[in-house]
Amino acid sequence: MTGGSAWGKWTVRGYLLLTLLFLYLPIVVMTLMAFNRSPLYQLPFEFDFVWFRALAGNDRLIQAGLNSVGLAAANMVVATGIGTLAAIALDRYRIRGKALLQILLFPPITIPWLIIGTSMLIFFFWIGIGRGLHAMLLGHVALSLPYVIVVVGARLKGGSHQLEEAAATLGATPWQAFWRVSLPVMAPGVVAAGLFAFAVSFDQFVISYFLAPPGVSTLPVEIYAAIRKGFTPEINAISALIILVSMGLMLVFARLYRFGGER
Amino acid sequence: MKAAARRRLALGFLLGPAYGWLALTVLLPLAAMFYFSFLTVAPVGGRIAEPTLRHYAAFFDKGFYQTLTWRSLKLGFDVTVLCILLGFPAALALAKYVSGRWREALFLLVVLPFWSNALVRTFSWTTVLRDDGFLDRAIRVLWPDAEPLGLLFSYPAIVIGLVHAYLPYMILTCYISLQAIDDSLIEAARSLGASSLQLFLRVVVPLSLPGILGGVLLIFVPVIGSFMEPRILGGRTGIMLGTVIEDQFTAVFNWPLGAALSFIMLGIVLVIFALATPLLRRRLSGI
Amino acid sequence: MSAVEVSHAVKRFGAVAALHDVSVDFADGEFFGLLGPSGSGKTTLLRAIAGFFELDAGDIRIGGVPVGDRPVHRREIGMVFQNYALFPHLTVRDNIGFGLAVRGRPRSEIDAEVKRMLALVQLSGLEARKPRQLSGGQQQRVALARALVTRPRVLLLDEPLGALDKRLRQEMQVELKQIQRRIGITTIFVTHDQEEALTLSDRIAILNEGRILQIGRPAEVYERPETAFAASFLGDANFLDGRVLDRGSVAVEGLGRIPVAGALPEAGATVRLAVRPEKFAIEPAGAGNANDANRIAGVVRGAIYSGTSITYRVELRAPAAGGEARTLTVFRQNLAAEPLAIGTAVELSWSSANTILLRS
Repeated sequence: MTGGSAWGKWTVRGYLLLTLLFLYLPIVVMTLMAFNRSPLYQLPFEFDFVWFRALAGNDRLIQAGLNSVGLAAANMVVATGIGTLAAIALDRYRIRGKALLQILLFPPITIPWLIIGTSMLIFFFWIGIGRGLHAMLLGHVALSLPYVIVVVGARLKGGSHQLEEAAATLGATPWQAFWRVSLPVMAPGVVAAGLFAFAVSFDQFVISYFLAPPGVSTLPVEIYAAIRKGFTPEINAISALIILVSMGLMLVFARLYRFGGER
Repeated sequence: MKAAARRRLALGFLLGPAYGWLALTVLLPLAAMFYFSFLTVAPVGGRIAEPTLRHYAAFFDKGFYQTLTWRSLKLGFDVTVLCILLGFPAALALAKYVSGRWREALFLLVVLPFWSNALVRTFSWTTVLRDDGFLDRAIRVLWPDAEPLGLLFSYPAIVIGLVHAYLPYMILTCYISLQAIDDSLIEAARSLGASSLQLFLRVVVPLSLPGILGGVLLIFVPVIGSFMEPRILGGRTGIMLGTVIEDQFTAVFNWPLGAALSFIMLGIVLVIFALATPLLRRRLSGI
Repeated sequence: MSAVEVSHAVKRFGAVAALHDVSVDFADGEFFGLLGPSGSGKTTLLRAIAGFFELDAGDIRIGGVPVGDRPVHRREIGMVFQNYALFPHLTVRDNIGFGLAVRGRPRSEIDAEVKRMLALVQLSGLEARKPRQLSGGQQQRVALARALVTRPRVLLLDEPLGALDKRLRQEMQVELKQIQRRIGITTIFVTHDQEEALTLSDRIAILNEGRILQIGRPAEVYERPETAFAASFLGDANFLDGRVLDRGSVAVEGLGRIPVAGALPEAGATVRLAVRPEKFAIEPAGAGNANDANRIAGVVRGAIYSGTSITYRVELRAPAAGGEARTLTVFRQNLAAEPLAIGTAVELSWSSANTILLRS
């Protein structure tokens, strides 16, 4: 803020750093320990890949990992696809109930996931869909949709409508205008939304937990089960891996979202 | 009219899949759960269910559930207040005391953990808080004879884990509000003779209230319904309304009871929203 | 290159009529300005010609062919938007070549045409840049080049110079006119800036509230506005209300008999006259220049110095009907070193040829 003492300024900045320290402390500790040879956190610290190698032999975790990745990829495609369509509609058309439509996007984010997950469990069982990866996909897409619509919508706000008009005056048919102008302009937003959807699914625990039948699970669900049974350093290793992957994804998303070739 | 029909078709094609999906996976299940909450047993596997109010009645009869709800609300309150106290200054620092590339980078750093895996983050706290974990060892560096803190599997551990998980939310919403405060407003206040404290209380806080309230709503609700963090970090002391609801679905298989409790929780959340909205509107109207 | 004819165009948006029975013919090769305040319908008219919507009534012909059933992309028009609408993801070359690319022209032809266009707008060498790397003026030229490369029949400009600063705007006005002359394309442009309309247009139409009030060459419309609105929208005007005396004069309260040329209604009818501020000669009282017919006495009440001219507010000796003081605005070219002081008694005079008879 303008004015105020320099001393005060640095105190405040120092506080910010402390906050960041607090936010990253457990993550850093956990990640470091994943590379420590000792299974019980005994120091001195000896760098080793032993727990990661143990992971490679853990078939359950590997299968769960593959499930997670596959599910996240499917979620990314579906959620981004239908979310983008919806975002286009909300941006282009003057709809009478638009405010209502936008409010309807809130439940997945504001209702506790516990309730959403258990209600899905009830409903899917009742109508015969049951549990499983397909059920989880249904749930993950529902959770990702609001985010996709918001992210793509924000990107569309740049007035792609007028660009299509310009394309039309230059002789482009509506299809050509969409393909050559709207789509490329939208693309960074769509890709960013896709990454976001992937991350939302990959990290999703609660919904997957309720919709996982015995024998089929995703990585977070496996980790939870393992934690409840008792600590093993392998959990540490896989956790470190996951957090690095999801933070990495988010970093890419952040760059795309901000520097998406806009004017 | 061809144009109007075409428009309706286009809208249906564009909006249909997304909202249809949401209806199928969010709205209908909620309705189904509402229905279930009035049944004696879950009508699956060939069982016949009768309508009943006894699950809702159980909430009001058994003191246990009310204590539990109270605990969950208290947890929500504690976590939210701590998030405000810790997060607001951080947001202030980001919005007004840092600029340029540093601001973008730090902002990203703050938000990054938030968008990573919640389960893993909770788990990472166990490695720090456990007996002879990182925290104990760090303390022993300064006080070699210290006893293990025994933080893990206690209420404070749950609070720490939840604050850690949701703090970035509060920082984010406060940051958005704070950085919308024009520097010229602050300069104007100073030119009128306001001290830093007056500036803070009379200008900054009121203008950032929407951000704070937004953060409160986004934090309080999920915390009330949390079960993963209480279980992992609280162990046996981590019994909350969320964990009991979870039990109904994974251990006890009393789905109707779980459904009823869920809707009671939802009802509490709605009541809080309803109470908050006029407050919000009054505060926001002056902006 | 074609003429454009709009006849009896009507367009309603909800309850609001944006165009009320508008008819105007744009001659082949002419630079035509649509001038009016916001909401006057000028942009609506432009967009109707472009084809962004269908008219509720009336029709539009380009080159003699009705285009009512043709969508935008088949009307062979070129359009420059207010904020240029350049495609952000394409280079300057691809932006300009867009119209040819969607027609399936070969790469070599597109490159040659783009080069030609860039030379025309004096931006050679900038092919590889992206729009966000260009200045406002450069973006505007790219937008123009892009619109012209497909050799459209009509060029439509929607407030094309609005986003530029004054100096740049004046430069672009000159260039725009030169390019249009060279190519000879029928150009219709929309503006709310009266100076721009006067400078650029071969003919102007003044619009207000969905109607065309007057069409004509700039000098005609300026010197002989037909309505009070046109008189005050294009330039400034002093209004004098009076009563017809006889075939050639009008009595204005306090000013006496004012000779008026043109067809006056019958004696006794009320009319409204206008005299533009720059048509007055203003002298200190008693300077004694007795050339012009109309002379009034007054006192200087205000003087605004603008460098090239001085704007005086002169309060007339004779009050208006009802007894209120009547004030006239006078522009005087800055010939003398000192402006007239406030309170100076002055004499205003003007030639009868400059008395405008307004129709409404």
